[in-house]
Amino acid sequence: MKSKEKGKFQLSFNESVNILKKYSIQLPDSAIIKSKSEIQKYSNKIGYPLAMKIISGDVIHKSDAGGVETSIRDEKEAAEAYERILTAIKKNIPSADIRGVLAQKMFSGIEIIIGMKRDPQFGPVLLFGLGGIFVEVMKDVSMQIAPVNQSQAIGMIKKIRAISLLTGARGTKPANLTKIADIIVKVSRLSMKEIQIKEIDLNPVIVDGNDINIVDVRIVAEK
Amino acid sequence: MINRTKSKNRLDKLFSPNSIAVVGASRDEKSVGYGIAKNLIEGCVFKCRYCMPFKGKIYLVNPKAGMILAKKCYHDISSIKEQIDLVIIAVPAAIVETIVRECAKLKVGGIIIISAGFAEIGEEGKNLQERIVSIASKSGIPIVGPNCLGIIRPSAGMNASFAPSVPPRGDVAFISQSGALADSIIDWAIESVYGFSAIISIGNQADLDISDFIEWLGEDKETKAIALYIEGIKDGRRFMEVTSRISRKKPIIVLKAGRTEKGQKAISSHTGSIAGSYKIYETAFSQSGVEIADNVEELFDLAKALANQPPCKKNSVAIVTNAGGPGVLCADFCESMGVNLAELKDSTIRKLDKSGKMHPAYSRHNPLDIVGDALPERYEAAINILLSEDYISGLIVIQTLQTMTDPVEDAKIIIRAKKRFKDKPIICTYMGGMFSREGWELLEKNGIPDYNDPKKAARAMKALIDKGKRGLK
Repeated sequence: MKSKEKGKFQLSFNESVNILKKYSIQLPDSAIIKSKSEIQKYSNKIGYPLAMKIISGDVIHKSDAGGVETSIRDEKEAAEAYERILTAIKKNIPSADIRGVLAQKMFSGIEIIIGMKRDPQFGPVLLFGLGGIFVEVMKDVSMQIAPVNQSQAIGMIKKIRAISLLTGARGTKPANLTKIADIIVKVSRLSMKEIQIKEIDLNPVIVDGNDINIVDVRIVAEK
Repeated sequence: MINRTKSKNRLDKLFSPNSIAVVGASRDEKSVGYGIAKNLIEGCVFKCRYCMPFKGKIYLVNPKAGMILAKKCYHDISSIKEQIDLVIIAVPAAIVETIVRECAKLKVGGIIIISAGFAEIGEEGKNLQERIVSIASKSGIPIVGPNCLGIIRPSAGMNASFAPSVPPRGDVAFISQSGALADSIIDWAIESVYGFSAIISIGNQADLDISDFIEWLGEDKETKAIALYIEGIKDGRRFMEVTSRISRKKPIIVLKAGRTEKGQKAISSHTGSIAGSYKIYETAFSQSGVEIADNVEELFDLAKALANQPPCKKNSVAIVTNAGGPGVLCADFCESMGVNLAELKDSTIRKLDKSGKMHPAYSRHNPLDIVGDALPERYEAAINILLSEDYISGLIVIQTLQTMTDPVEDAKIIIRAKKRFKDKPIICTYMGGMFSREGWELLEKNGIPDYNDPKKAARAMKALIDKGKRGLK
């Protein structure tokens, strides 16, 4: 929960998931594991391969601190990974308040991002782009000022320069654009109602044909 | 709804007042107060053929002067004792509040505050500005400015500004967040015979803001297209609501400053507006059907095309040219801007062949190069045959000056074609200078846009294709 500017703060993972749920934006099953005995119960339900991440407001750079484990294939590996994360954090950031370890299924596919930023003049601005270098280096993003309807959302998706990566270029599975547009429309709806929310980052969202999974979320609100 | 009608009526007095008072009229020829008085009494300071004295009543107010420009001065507006439709205030900021109070008491129709020294200078100025707006709004008096140039309305013979001169009368309205830019546009417009229906300098937008003026111009019969120079918009959502509505019946073109970080910094010290992200502005403009211009020249290039030409209904355009080079350039620009050049059908070529007017070496494809020695009759045959084809929705006519070229006769042919093919846009590129002038002036007088550069013609055609997509007539 690092503070950004005066009055602005980042929602916790659970708070973020809950507010998204209110607008039917679903994240894939995940679990916060608080003891070794819970591993079996949750990890089998979520499915493999798994990724595990430390949950603590005190750990900012999770990977650097040894707080992230990926490609976990079974229950045995999950137990080992859980131990490794706790040991590493206790060693590297002894003062950290550890809330548990988040277990999520790992997905493969094309990374996209869906975002919202509240502009002082125009209100909520929705943002769409491909993840990773496409956003950061190529600045290949499209925008639309809310409210955004389904056909405008489709228009946003089609406006990016690298759209061919989503429509099946180079033998990849064509992405279900309607489903992606649904998420954009829901984020638009959320941002029109929840005016205390200033920024939303669904990043990455992993797309594999019809399979669309929001892997991580960052929401900034203002008191 | 009630509000909308009210706001339209509220602004009428600013554009067609029967009487104007100038508070701060001055004898000092170098002062703004003198310039405004002279602009009303004589039409302008820099004389041109478009200057005309304001026909309504003019009252000059200056407690210290007896006469200015052979006109009696009043001690204050209360001593005028006649109905005043419009008050122009050009006195130091500190006295403005007192004057506005007087205006409120007298229930004047509207106020233009030229004076600077308000929100743009900081907190103190901002408070003064808010007090003034609250006094006027209690009496329902609209305020233009402060910190602005004023309003010019050529059709009403009104130069209620300190602009040095006045442009020809026309059908493009210009709303500018920079007064000085408007000044230079006027000088250029006189030289280029570019007509305006209104020029409005909005200044700090303390009361009336850009959206109010766009809304008023949307109903204005003199205005066919609205050009905007914007640095920052305060209420972005209202701007989008208004422009989305108005752009469905009248084209709106915008030039937005502050595309770079340096430009944005310059804006905050200029008008005190928050520049905001250019990408978000671009998104807002295209979402609201506002055409985006890249620079000052393009703003007015597009405005004149959009004001008078019908939309290009299908993205399928032809080029007629008497020169290969400019035709090739134009094809390049069309292609890169997304203007599709139609493939000429065999049946079209047969008609051209059969006309008996073509040179044996004419190009037989689009761009249709009718060769340098083209006389008016060859232009006529080519233009009419191309525009008769259903699959061609718009035409670019390029003319270079050869020994046998007749720019005026060619212009007459184009004007006739325009009358015959009312629903298809024609854009001209008379490349050249003094010997083409009479020709392009004739074209422009008849509402056919002419540009000296094929790139501009391609850009204008692109805007007309966009106009079609927006469903404008």
